[in-house]
Amino acid sequence: MAWDMQKLIRSFFASNASVTIIVLLLIMVFLMREGAGFLGTYKHELEIYRKAGLELCDLVDRPLAQHQDLSSKLRRAVTTSIDPLIQSTRARRDAAFYIKREIEQSTTLPREALTQALEKTPALDPAKLDQLRRQVASETAAAAATAAISNLFSAEEVARLRREMSLLSPEVTEMPSFLTELSAAFRVMDKEAKQKYTQLIEASDLFEEAPDSLRAMLSELKEDVLFTKEAAMEYFTLEEGRQKLLKAAEVATDLKEKADLLAEAEASKTEEPNYQENLAPVLERREELQEHITQYADSITEALKTLPKTGDVPEATKLLAEVHEHMPLHVQAMRKSLTEIKEWQAEKPVSIITVVGAFFFGSAWLTNSSWQDFFGFVPLLAGSVVIALIAIVIATPLSVAAAIYTNQFASDREKEFIKPVIEFIQAIPSVVLGFIGISLLGDLIKDMSEIPWLSGLPGFPIQERLNMFNAGCLLALMAIPTMFSLAEDALNNVPQAYIDASDALGATKLQTVFRVIVPAALSGIAAAVLLGLGRVIGETMVVLLVAGNRIAIPDFGVGPGFIFQPAHTLTGIIAQELGEVSRGSAHWQALFMVGIVLFAISLLVNGCARAVVRRFETPKA
Amino acid sequence: MSASLPSSSPEANPFAGNQSAVQRRETTVRWLLRLSTFFIVAVTVAIVMHILVKGLPITLRSEFPYVNVKFLTELPGTLHVIFDKQGNATETDVNGADEIKKQLGENFREEKTISYSGGGILGPIVGTALLVVVSVSVALFLGVCSAIYLSEYASKGKRVEMIRLAILNLAGVPSVVFGLFGLGAFVLSAPVLTDAPLERSLFSIPLGLTYLSFQGWDTCVLSGGFTLAFVILPVIITASEQCLQAVPHGFRETSMALGATRWQTIWRAVLPFATPGILTSSILGIARAAGETAPIMFTAALAFKDKLPWQKDLPPLPADAGLFAHWEQSVERFLGIFTESVQALPYHIYTLAARIPHNEYSERAQYGSVFVFLLLVASLAATSIWMRRRLRGKYKW
Repeated sequence: MAWDMQKLIRSFFASNASVTIIVLLLIMVFLMREGAGFLGTYKHELEIYRKAGLELCDLVDRPLAQHQDLSSKLRRAVTTSIDPLIQSTRARRDAAFYIKREIEQSTTLPREALTQALEKTPALDPAKLDQLRRQVASETAAAAATAAISNLFSAEEVARLRREMSLLSPEVTEMPSFLTELSAAFRVMDKEAKQKYTQLIEASDLFEEAPDSLRAMLSELKEDVLFTKEAAMEYFTLEEGRQKLLKAAEVATDLKEKADLLAEAEASKTEEPNYQENLAPVLERREELQEHITQYADSITEALKTLPKTGDVPEATKLLAEVHEHMPLHVQAMRKSLTEIKEWQAEKPVSIITVVGAFFFGSAWLTNSSWQDFFGFVPLLAGSVVIALIAIVIATPLSVAAAIYTNQFASDREKEFIKPVIEFIQAIPSVVLGFIGISLLGDLIKDMSEIPWLSGLPGFPIQERLNMFNAGCLLALMAIPTMFSLAEDALNNVPQAYIDASDALGATKLQTVFRVIVPAALSGIAAAVLLGLGRVIGETMVVLLVAGNRIAIPDFGVGPGFIFQPAHTLTGIIAQELGEVSRGSAHWQALFMVGIVLFAISLLVNGCARAVVRRFETPKA
Repeated sequence: MSASLPSSSPEANPFAGNQSAVQRRETTVRWLLRLSTFFIVAVTVAIVMHILVKGLPITLRSEFPYVNVKFLTELPGTLHVIFDKQGNATETDVNGADEIKKQLGENFREEKTISYSGGGILGPIVGTALLVVVSVSVALFLGVCSAIYLSEYASKGKRVEMIRLAILNLAGVPSVVFGLFGLGAFVLSAPVLTDAPLERSLFSIPLGLTYLSFQGWDTCVLSGGFTLAFVILPVIITASEQCLQAVPHGFRETSMALGATRWQTIWRAVLPFATPGILTSSILGIARAAGETAPIMFTAALAFKDKLPWQKDLPPLPADAGLFAHWEQSVERFLGIFTESVQALPYHIYTLAARIPHNEYSERAQYGSVFVFLLLVASLAATSIWMRRRLRGKYKW
């Protein structure tokens, strides 16, 4: 009996210990349960996308999207060319208007009071109105007298500005004469400058208008196919409800209830839209569409010929060169769409490989769209990987150096201080670090990027406060404690005999450290880096708050400065979107698929770290 | 600085000539290493100082009772700021807004409302406390039992190896994946006793009067607490096992030699010495559980709630209700605490930081919450670190 009791206790503890294995399995089971249906659902959606003809429109629409990018480049080329000519007059005009706004803002309260009093019916006592007027006048005069005026204006002009500004009042509707003069001067200047660049501006306008007819036709087609798609979606929703009713009717015991359910099911019965019939008019216009495309391609090729190759400012020259380089590619893409349109078939089945490819290699994650939802995984993965790499690149040298210093050089007093502080970082909740990224680090990096003598660095000055670099810095801080303590353990585990041998050979301290201790601990350090990477990829709150949440593959074309672009991540997308989708929808399942991938990545990273340790383990002395 | 190394350091010799290139390099590298170490330390200190400087004025007051009682004892709410025509601003809550507007009458100019930024943060504090209580109870029970098995019963073998592998992997699972797991498992499929199983139920087992239906607990403290428990489970197991291993083998051998059974040995000769250490390390688990946001996002947390968990509306009892009815209602009220969704501090901070526009009023709520949150978590972590250091000195065998 006693022996049995012992066995019982033992198995109680054993079962508790197995909980970890069970939980790990359950995580897999539940992720699969919610996410596994994704491929089927997405396949179904893509089938409708094809059958309804949305795909056909996208064949044209996708290459056409480049037009926007190119035409904005041209517009920028125009403005940068004109800019030097009009800059000074514009600055004067803007500065004057700025002063006016400042003065008006600082006297808002009396101005508002006067305006409201004037609007009153019956009219207020004139004496009271006068008092309000006097108050406005005196405060405006005071503000005008003290307003800071930029050095763009000569002393005379400053005096005139102050004089005219002091007369501002809500009752005076006309502009102060000085401001009118400045605006007029600017308009003259602007016109002159534009005349100088007529050729460029004309080419740019031509290019901008080129796709208008194509766009108009495309939007007609889009309307048609979208109608079919929505009808199909409605049919499937109703059908699902009907199936549920039928199921309920099957198990219903009460005869009347059963009849009611069946009747309700019958009432909600609808027809699936006839895709072929609906698509026929669209397909009929296929040739017309092709004509429009050819026309468009020809007209932009024409526009390109008249477009000057160089501008007067380097920035414009660069932009024009880019346009000249990319435009032929764009024309090529448009012409390629011609054959694609011809070969396109609505009946072609969507294979499962296409669906898997659309998820794992899809370059767009587009949800809640009125057109078509896409669940492409690449932009999220790219964001996660870039942020993780930034974090690792920052954290590895810092934490390994700190581990070496603490382990080999630091005095006991320093150790007492360093170790708890680094241990403490681990306790800072990630949401707090994310908040620091929003409230402190974002502005810090942005302000720093605007310092003139740092403008040579790639990507400076930066556009967005919240970006991948910001997130990477914070994640580096999060990874440091893990990497530091593991690396220090690895250094500690180097057998004393190695060190003694090195000392005995007359090596200096530094030689011992870098030629004996660190190489011997390298596998441990590598494992530390890998585990840090695992931690960084899986982190959620910091990237959700700080990475900028723009779902797009980073534009690597801009050089190393791409790290200052905003991005979205695998973890962030789940946290942000899961709360807003309904269970069982393709979007819900897609998010669970992302969860499955994250889980797989974490297992992989862990496995690698263990393999590294095992492969290069140093023999214990 | 290098005075601590008198024997090898060249400066120790006043008659030494110029440093050789090798020595110079040695000093440079050493300083580089030291610099990176202190860079990490400096960044940490700077972050903490920043929160301290911004958060202290919000949570502390210059006169008695020296803390901002309102901030710590009120539920979060929408902040209404009312401006009069002289440019004065009055802050109030939703109830006070109409009153003040009436008082101002003609003089009223405009009103700004800032979501979540008014009132205090009592709701989130209570929610976090409840989540921590549930998760730490579950994790401590499972964790200590697992550690006992690993350390006392079986330390080798295929099964143990698998368990250790599972612990390692569980520790590496991203927290948001735990959130997904909690959503799928606890919110949507955990078993409950109910009279009418829901349609989404995985399956339901009839038990005479009721059904045991696997339809989930919905978003509530229980779901969130269990999810968090598995997040911190690896930490607790590893720490507890270390504490058990630290108890000298002689204790066990002596006990066994006196004829005690294995269980008696564990209960009388091992656990009493390991408990202080286990509890100390579990404080670190508490800090971790309190700090996690992603696992509770879909399982327990709510952006806004105007009631504390125990202020649930229950039907009023009839006047002649017996003692039993009262007792029953109290039990229901108590259980209701765990089946309600709550606000939690980290989620509140996320809401304040990401979901509402940034201005001076929301910034105050942000820094106040962050300061209180960091203070709670950091003091827990500091206690744990400090106690571990003390225990290490105390228990030397």
